[in-house]
Amino acid sequence: MRINCPHCGERDRREFYYMGDAVAVTRPAPDAGPDAWDDYLHNRDNPAGDTRDLWYHEAGCGAWIVVARNTLTHAVHGATLAQKAAS
Amino acid sequence: MGYSGFQIIKEGLFGQKGWKPLWRDPAPKARYDAIIIGGGGHGLATAYYLAREHGLTNIAVLEKGHIGGGNIGRNTTIVRANYFLPGNQEFYSHSLKLWEGMEQDLNYNVMHSQRGLINLFHSDGQRDAFVRRGNAMINQGDDAILLDREGVRSHLPYLDFDNGRFPIYGGLYHPRGGTARHDAVAWGYARGADQRGVDLIQNCEVTGIDIENGVVTGVQTTRGAIRARKVGIVTAGRSGQVAAMAGMRLPIESHVLQAFVTEGLKPVIDHVVSFGMGHFYISQSDKGGLVFGGDLDFYASYAARGNLPMAEHVMEAAMTLMPMIGKARVLRSWGGIMDMTPDGSPIIDTTPTKGLFIDCGWCYGGFKAVPASGFAFAHLMATGQPHATAAKFRLDRFRTGVGLMDEEGTGSQHNLH
Amino acid sequence: MARLIALGAFGDLLPLQTGDVTCTEVMRETLFCVAPYRGQHKAVSAALKAQLGLSLPAAGRRKIAGDAICQWIGHDAWVVSAPVMLDGLAAVSDQSDGYAALDVAGAGVEAVLARLIPLDLRSTTFKVNHTARSLLGHVPVSITRTGAQAFEVMVMRSMAASLVHDLQVAMSGLARRGSA
Ligand SMILES: Cc1cc2nc3c(=O)[nH]c(=O)nc-3n(C[C@H](O)[C@H](O)[C@H](O)COP(=O)(O)OP(=O)(O)OC[C@H]3O[C@@H](n4cnc5c(N)ncnc54)[C@H](O)[C@@H]3O)c2cc1C
Ligand SMILES: [Zn+2]
Repeated sequence: MRINCPHCGERDRREFYYMGDAVAVTRPAPDAGPDAWDDYLHNRDNPAGDTRDLWYHEAGCGAWIVVARNTLTHAVHGATLAQKAAS
Repeated sequence: MGYSGFQIIKEGLFGQKGWKPLWRDPAPKARYDAIIIGGGGHGLATAYYLAREHGLTNIAVLEKGHIGGGNIGRNTTIVRANYFLPGNQEFYSHSLKLWEGMEQDLNYNVMHSQRGLINLFHSDGQRDAFVRRGNAMINQGDDAILLDREGVRSHLPYLDFDNGRFPIYGGLYHPRGGTARHDAVAWGYARGADQRGVDLIQNCEVTGIDIENGVVTGVQTTRGAIRARKVGIVTAGRSGQVAAMAGMRLPIESHVLQAFVTEGLKPVIDHVVSFGMGHFYISQSDKGGLVFGGDLDFYASYAARGNLPMAEHVMEAAMTLMPMIGKARVLRSWGGIMDMTPDGSPIIDTTPTKGLFIDCGWCYGGFKAVPASGFAFAHLMATGQPHATAAKFRLDRFRTGVGLMDEEGTGSQHNLH
Repeated sequence: MARLIALGAFGDLLPLQTGDVTCTEVMRETLFCVAPYRGQHKAVSAALKAQLGLSLPAAGRRKIAGDAICQWIGHDAWVVSAPVMLDGLAAVSDQSDGYAALDVAGAGVEAVLARLIPLDLRSTTFKVNHTARSLLGHVPVSITRTGAQAFEVMVMRSMAASLVHDLQVAMSGLARRGSA
């Protein structure tokens, strides 16, 4: 599996650290309540198919990126900087 | 069907043509008292104990593929009771006892081999942690022996004891740990359930869960609608999709875990050896293949195959621990879909829908759990009450933060287990 | 006042020569990391232009003006080889002793690096003053092409010995094949 880093281009999967579903870029408000926070921290759609997840280019440029990917085929469709995805 | 010596000789002489299927192949009925979704180890054991312990025999196991095609036929077969935390401890202790009686109980040879498991340690700090774990295991009534370096050497002379990064200081020896033939466990439970009247329905994918006013009424399948007042979800890596049919989002991410096997060799590894610092473990199957694996690939996946970086990592760890393995040739590798929870421990619980139950979150360690999970889940489905051995496997522990069971001590967070 | 002796990060591990490839330490007395605050890229670039004669290069590039260097080092971060004043514009941290750098050069240099770094470093794609972050063996590096047959490799100082070790193994492996 190779991932397209927006800065570095296509790189081997081993250069990246995996954080999980890209829910992390849409953090609930501090006072959103326990259900919203439980959902954010624990519950997942866990799709079999297209997904968006968060990776860190640990052994490369150090950017957090949101990767569009398929969990059934391991195809990687593209990636954007988490900075942009979040704003 | 029996497997007497006489029968085996007779079949050998007459071309093995007389063997009959181990279970029936029934068409689904319109209605059952209970339905189990998923014909893996846990689903089959649940059906078996529902019939044996609770007299519920008008039940069906619905399997979308074939019996034994999921993780139950893909794991590396380690069976052990060396957990540390309350909740896990009593459960896996119970499970190992059920393993020890399984072959007599099912009258089926599952090749359960208590060859002993040795967990290696490489520092004083790690030794302390293993002493503590060993004491906890003994307090629970299980067995644990602390081996020093020479003790390990007497069992495992072929290891590299003086690796610069991970010199071997000793090991925690769990003599009752071992392995079993994974698909035989599925076949044994399948036959046992079938003999008690359970319908095992293969090629039957559940596509919807019917709920009326918060009460489950049945399921939709590729072989038609089936009604039941009790439905249990036991679909391992696919738990998220099936739970979504009931409007639930689970604290589960599905990840791929790989395993590897070499060509058959003469007996060379007599134990199960676990090298935690290298994320590597190994045993030798009765056919002679060295069966080994490592950690998750660490990304969500349903592909049932992994990527090369983890293969490389596992091979490197193998060479670090036992250089002799470099002479063995790897025959095959494969992957399975692991239902990972944030704290790495499982869930056996009711759901917000009345009559709907769930058993999932087995992560990479659910093979050893097959009998106790089936036992406890059957108890829950039959009585509505959790079984004492599995009372802590609550679905809401993540929401409340109470009763998290994080064996690795890395934190209750998805990407850390 | 005591006279301090300048010691390189590589000690006596360098210089190194095997076959037609040589490794020498790149001594830089000062090195600063510049991380522009949000929305301040342009202002930082202008300030650097005024102070060093160098604006911020794009990701994956390095610029040189006289002795001064400004090199992309990762997401929203650059290193410069001389002190700069960027108050209110960027986080500037002194990393002078944090990094170790070496020059690896010679006719066989691309073949040596091809054994160690999973990037296409041929001159057709990776030109002079192109820079990248990746792994050399298991060591995170910043690699820059400095000439037709020359590269600079930068690592965190604690990795200096590992870097030399990996290079040495690759260099001697190729030299023994006699076809570097
Ligand atoms: C490589 C590897 C090594 C492992 N090693 C060990 C080990 O050494 N020790 C250990 O204890 N554990 C180990 N495990 C973990 C263990 O295999 C699993 O935790 C356990 O098998 C999961 O439970 P199961 O047997 O019920 O799963 P499965 O066999 O996967 O059963 C789930 C079933 O549900 C079916 N299903 C899914 N969706 C539907 C649907 N919609 N309708 C109908 N049916 C459906 C699937 O087809 C499947 O057959 C390992 C796993 C892997 C992959
Ligand atoms: Zn990058």
